[in-house]
Amino acid sequence: MNKSLLTGILIISVIGLAALCAPVLTPHDPSNIDSNHILMGPSPEHPLGTDGLGRDLLSRLLYGARISLSVGLIAVGISTLLGITLGALAGYYGGILDTCIMRFVDIMLCFPTFFLILGVVAVLDQSLFNIMFIIGLTSWMGTARLMRGEILSLKEREFVQAAVAIGASPSRIIIRHLIPNATGPVLVNATLGIASAILIESSLSFLGLGVQPPTPSWGNILIESKSTMAVAWWITLFPGLAILTTIMAFNFLAEGLKKS
Amino acid sequence: MPELLRIKNLRVAFTVGKNTVQAVDWLNLTLEEGVTTVLAGESGSGKSVTCLAVTKLLPENALVGPESQIIFENKNLLALSPHELTDIRGKKIAYVFQEPSSFLNPVFSIGDQISETVMLHQQVTRKKAEEETLQLLSLVRIKEARRVMHSYPHQLSGGMNQRVFLAMSLACKPRLLIADEPTTALDVTTESAILALLMELKKTLGFTLLFITHNLSIAVRIADRICIMHRGAIVEDNTVDAIFASPHHTHTQELIAAYKTIGSL
Amino acid sequence: MTRYILRRLLGLIPLIVGITILSFAVIHLAPGRPTSIEQSMNPRVSPEIQARLIKLYDLDKPLPVQYFHWLKRLIKLDLGRSFVDNRPVAEKILERLPITLVINILALKIILAIGIPLGIASALRPNGLFDKISTFFVFLCFAIPTFWLALLLMNLFSIQLGWLPISGIKSIDFEYFTPVQKILDIGRHLILPIFVSTIGGLAGISRYMRSNMLDTLQQPYIYTARAKGLPEYIVLYKHALRNAILPIVTIVGLSIPGLLGGSVIFESIFSIPGIGRLFFEAVMTRDYPLIMAEIVLTAVLTMLGNLIADISYAYVDPRIRYRKN
Repeated sequence: MNKSLLTGILIISVIGLAALCAPVLTPHDPSNIDSNHILMGPSPEHPLGTDGLGRDLLSRLLYGARISLSVGLIAVGISTLLGITLGALAGYYGGILDTCIMRFVDIMLCFPTFFLILGVVAVLDQSLFNIMFIIGLTSWMGTARLMRGEILSLKEREFVQAAVAIGASPSRIIIRHLIPNATGPVLVNATLGIASAILIESSLSFLGLGVQPPTPSWGNILIESKSTMAVAWWITLFPGLAILTTIMAFNFLAEGLKKS
Repeated sequence: MPELLRIKNLRVAFTVGKNTVQAVDWLNLTLEEGVTTVLAGESGSGKSVTCLAVTKLLPENALVGPESQIIFENKNLLALSPHELTDIRGKKIAYVFQEPSSFLNPVFSIGDQISETVMLHQQVTRKKAEEETLQLLSLVRIKEARRVMHSYPHQLSGGMNQRVFLAMSLACKPRLLIADEPTTALDVTTESAILALLMELKKTLGFTLLFITHNLSIAVRIADRICIMHRGAIVEDNTVDAIFASPHHTHTQELIAAYKTIGSL
Repeated sequence: MTRYILRRLLGLIPLIVGITILSFAVIHLAPGRPTSIEQSMNPRVSPEIQARLIKLYDLDKPLPVQYFHWLKRLIKLDLGRSFVDNRPVAEKILERLPITLVINILALKIILAIGIPLGIASALRPNGLFDKISTFFVFLCFAIPTFWLALLLMNLFSIQLGWLPISGIKSIDFEYFTPVQKILDIGRHLILPIFVSTIGGLAGISRYMRSNMLDTLQQPYIYTARAKGLPEYIVLYKHALRNAILPIVTIVGLSIPGLLGGSVIFESIFSIPGIGRLFFEAVMTRDYPLIMAEIVLTAVLTMLGNLIADISYAYVDPRIRYRKN
């Protein structure tokens, strides 16, 4: 249990718990418009202040945490599943399948992530699921390459030869023997992927192409900060800090996993 | 024979994580000029550490005991400043290592690496250094010296690289050449050729040779004197014949027994 | 070496084909074909004109046919016309490309100039104070959302302190400036965008350089260099550095997609008229010809970047440049 691992797990647990318990932790409804309390700074009643519509920032951040974390987890779930499958198939069967899949990876990697994602956003409707889907579909390449590499090196090991010798079917070998041994690096990748997904989602939301208001996302809360920067510093500071801390936590976690 | 190098009370320990491993434990060894000494022993006995310690080439996590001394030309090498050491290394005491292809820098040409030594210690122009290099390459019996000079280590064979390394180490006519298992990574025929070359160069250039190996048959072939190392200390120190005639230490006896078994195959 | 280059060039062809297919597929395979494209066109356009546009863009033909027509035009560098203002797409891109290139190239230079020494310095005293501080700093740079950083900087420097302009690349009275003043003016406008663009890449390069340097310093030939009697600074900056810095050549080529992607964000925030912002506007207005053109363009740029990276590496590493005799 090294320091990085511990720090990462600690922070993520705090954020995760806060997100889960959002309804309990906040006395205010995040979408409660209160024109009497517009743009108020931090106070005992509103610990993190209010936004331009009088909504409590803390509650919005907590509900935003739910969005960000779920996007991160589901998007990475999709990309990891896709990556593991394609990578394992390419690594195990080799030959034309391998060449095709790896070529496909090369092509996908030629597109700057953001351009590709925005391109797809332009043609799909804006729903939360679509965002998770898109991010997942554009981030599997690293995992695929990793998986393929691991499989290639594990293929030659004795326990695999043994399994082949006793007549185990390829899918059995892949699922029962090869994939479990390759989980280490894949897990690290996935952790970093969550951080990356959260960053992409908040960037998209900030640009107006992600989570749509009034549903709060750390990214789209910051849209308002553009115009209220000079008078309401809390709207700029706190959502950004939330994103920063979450991403750093996942990075620590990944570092910690790498070391163990 | 006059004394060339005296290793006194050498103790070297390594810190690995939380543990400390004693690699060399109270080693005393005196080298006489002109006497070819072989330091023999199994892997892990501390031979390489000893020879690296002579000119303070050990890595940062190595702890050399305060009572250790390496006396060379009336100076304690372990007490010298880095600047003073650069005057000894490569110039008065030179090295040859085990895998020449790994120990040569892959991004510089052979000519560059040899000329670098020449220019460093002899303060000559690049042109002069390159001429020297060609001469050195023919000294180590490399034909096509010019082609080799412009080549890179990965383009040459192991044996060729070892010759190059010898040329590089002997460029400044050192008094002592420390060879750490220089032929272990080579095949038998090449090994034979390199050993022969080494002996010939020793006669021509007149340096003293400290040769490290775990292979007794090499020791038998080239040594005037053998020191057997075991667990960081020297357990036997005598001429070849004397050791074979009456080995004192159990470890020596084991080594000789192994040698004889293989020899009789 | 030439054979290597030729092989790589040949390998580009399937890649380009793949890029075009994927770009086309991404835009056209979304649910609701092809009617949503015609719906996204200005609904005030009369049915007759719509019909003509549909004929013009083959929107009624099967997809593979549409693809081939598009590809044919692409090869002739005819990128179509923007749905928004009917101007040639190529023209719109070309007028915005230089600014993006200038900013990104400058950013790249700064990244290398600062990141490489930073990484080396960290490697020379691993786990020392400097290393610990720079590691933390690197973590921070990796984690900070660029758009948030841009906002904060904008707030601090443009609004609170008033030192730097808020947006755009020229001031309002640009026309009245002397040439020197013009250059300074553009410079002042570019400081924040370039800074934001640099942060992420800086972290990456310095981290990479650090680990490369650490690996290199463990190599056997470093012992040889010391054993030869070379002063430590030559061992470090000639023998070690030359090896450690070799892969950096590829990093430069590989950072192109990251830089391009990042420019979408900071160009939008700072209102820089570059291709990133152009793309963002195209997405907002569903200007499909422009979207497709930019996706292909940036993918091709990335591909070229990789190619240059590989070839440069093959050139500087003697192990690849010179084959075994």
